[in-house]
Amino acid sequence: MRDNVNGGALTEVTFYILISLYQPRHGYSIMQYIEEKTQGRLALGAGTLYGALNALCEKGWISVYGQSDGRKKEFLITPLGKEIAQKELCRLKELTRFASEIIGGE
Amino acid sequence: MKKYRFFGSLLDTQEKWLNKMASQGFRLVRVNKLLYEFEACSPNEVQYCVEFIGEKSHKNAEDYRCFLEELGYKVFYKNINLNYSIGKVRVRPWAEKGGRIATNGTTYNRELLIVEKMNDGKPFEIHTSKEDLIRYYGTLRNPWLCFLAIFGAFGFVFKSLTFGAFAVAALFPVILYQSKIAKVKKSLRYEE
Repeated sequence: MRDNVNGGALTEVTFYILISLYQPRHGYSIMQYIEEKTQGRLALGAGTLYGALNALCEKGWISVYGQSDGRKKEFLITPLGKEIAQKELCRLKELTRFASEIIGGE
Repeated sequence: MKKYRFFGSLLDTQEKWLNKMASQGFRLVRVNKLLYEFEACSPNEVQYCVEFIGEKSHKNAEDYRCFLEELGYKVFYKNINLNYSIGKVRVRPWAEKGGRIATNGTTYNRELLIVEKMNDGKPFEIHTSKEDLIRYYGTLRNPWLCFLAIFGAFGFVFKSLTFGAFAVAALFPVILYQSKIAKVKKSLRYEE
């Protein structure tokens, strides 16, 4: 995951995965959820999702949920992950507020 | 139906061929060193991607395969080389930790994954973000970079034209993948 050096902005993929994991989901469910919420704009490839999930687990922003022997592996956001997502939401709010002022819009 | 082909490192060619077979109504049931065995299906019922995983350790390759199968894809391991020895041991300095010694029991002859997805009308891509594409092209480039360095050094030390020729041959894929990386990196300057 590439983090912006100055702002610590999350990549879109990272942020969407964090949001999708406020409830436990397995890989396919994450993919579907993100595609549905973005009306198909952000369709995650399997390899990209796999890499992102591993990186986020390593960072401790998400973790494997429950004991999934035999069942599909599920993930859930951690308290640290929620903190990061909260910060990103604040940053985006600030950005949209300022951008709306300049660009206009409803 | 059985077909015999060998594509080596030409991943795109292999992928195109499999997708052409799928468009004619054939899906893969079994692969071997040279063998591709197909059964009839509806035309374009399935789509294929060929992915290089030679840099992965045995454990991580298996973990990745499980992940793909959980997504509902069918996965085949495929060899990139054509080598029939039984007690093969090969050193892969370019691989990740745990994958640098490849044997028949672990990652040797399992350098590629052929991934099959039921066609849902959308394009089938494994790597979709720029960061991930850069990383993936890097894993494709590194073995060639390694061959280039080794053959180059041997050619220089032994003043051997044969090694020199091998080094030049390895240079082409290095340039190809490096230019792909550079292209993606350039677009990263202003967009994600």
